[in-house]
Amino acid sequence: MQTTIEGGSAFAYINVDLDPGETIIAEADAMSSMAADLDMDAKLNGGFFNGLAKAFLGGESLFVNHFTNNTNAARRVTLVQGTPGNTRAVQLNGQEYCLQPGAYIASTPGVTLGVKWAGFKSWFAREGLFKLSVSGTGTVWYGAYGGLLEKEVNGEYIVDTSHLVAYEPQMKLNIQLAGGLFSSLFGGEGFVTRLEGKGKIIVQTRSLSGLADWINPRLW
Amino acid sequence: MQIDITHRPGNSAAKVSLQAGESITAEGGAMIAMSGHMQVETTTHKKGEGSVLGALKRMVTGESFFINHFTPAGAPGEVFFGTALSGDMMEYNLNGPGLMVQGGSYVASAPTVNMDIQWQGFGKALFSGESMFLIHLSGSGPVILNSFGAVYPIQVNGDYIVDTGHIVAFEESLTYEVSKVGKSWISSFLGGEGLVCKFRGQGTVWCQSHNAGSFGTALGPSLKPR
Repeated sequence: MQTTIEGGSAFAYINVDLDPGETIIAEADAMSSMAADLDMDAKLNGGFFNGLAKAFLGGESLFVNHFTNNTNAARRVTLVQGTPGNTRAVQLNGQEYCLQPGAYIASTPGVTLGVKWAGFKSWFAREGLFKLSVSGTGTVWYGAYGGLLEKEVNGEYIVDTSHLVAYEPQMKLNIQLAGGLFSSLFGGEGFVTRLEGKGKIIVQTRSLSGLADWINPRLW
Repeated sequence: MQIDITHRPGNSAAKVSLQAGESITAEGGAMIAMSGHMQVETTTHKKGEGSVLGALKRMVTGESFFINHFTPAGAPGEVFFGTALSGDMMEYNLNGPGLMVQGGSYVASAPTVNMDIQWQGFGKALFSGESMFLIHLSGSGPVILNSFGAVYPIQVNGDYIVDTGHIVAFEESLTYEVSKVGKSWISSFLGGEGLVCKFRGQGTVWCQSHNAGSFGTALGPSLKPR
């Protein structure tokens, strides 16, 4: 399988060249174009209850699509997320990785998706009550609205609410005010997420809720 | 006429440099900047042939009622075109077979290019999720198209599937039908892909990487009701 991420940080999309017999799994409606002789099967996102949990709690689709190359030559499928923004791939070798709801785009068959309770703190941080946990062996592609910043954290780090996209599972999340009461209420930052631990985090440079907050006062 | 597309693929703009007396025709509202001595003529159809019917037909494709013709008087001049949504632009040189353009993707074309509207038929119109009409460009000369997201070409030889909402343009040597993905209709709908366009023949189809409708669906619930 050869994959490339094209389109720059503003409009990233994934070209997947499947060799004969290979399969890639993608969230519903991620396919933008594909060779007509690839097979596509919609399957429940990891069993009925697990699928339901992911759909209602993890911000993902109830069904995922399995694209399989049953021909005898390489075939291409092009995948993309619903919003403009950047896309990254993470390689899993048995470890776990945490994604924000809605960030998942695609994965290779050895990867398992699960939903985990993220806690009320996460919900206050506008990151959702649940988090998506990916584990197993293979590659996962995820994305967000805006560019993606990678940050190596050792100790404490603060991220504005609704900007956290992915993090390693050992990171602890806490919600707090951005500064003192005055600067938090009037400085435009409000609540922030405080991360503790040693590991990598991924932050999106824009947020959809930020865009919506900008547009809303201008609608009349 | 010289066309340069800058700021690809996120915030593309097309710079068109014209000789004195040379013209370019563009969709209403596409101009973002131009030389001071540029003459602008607004008509409902191709330069020199006003037609209200043509304008009405263009409107149903999602394009504007009026089109503008830009001509620098006396000296060379330039005009920049942009679009409302961020994304990519492409230049295509028509020369021979015509080009079918998705409504909304047309930006500008040389006066030697003819523009006509083609009805897609009820089946395709109702189910493809695309506009009921396509813009048919023929003749010769450069054309500027835009997209939501990056543009990527696919050389079709046989069959190829493009999801609805991702078509920018295709050569008229290709035909398409509205179809399912894979073998089963159930899978196609459960998997959220629904109906797709299956292209057949030999030629190029240009796709846009992103679907403006999907972005609208993601953003829409956070917007307050009007």
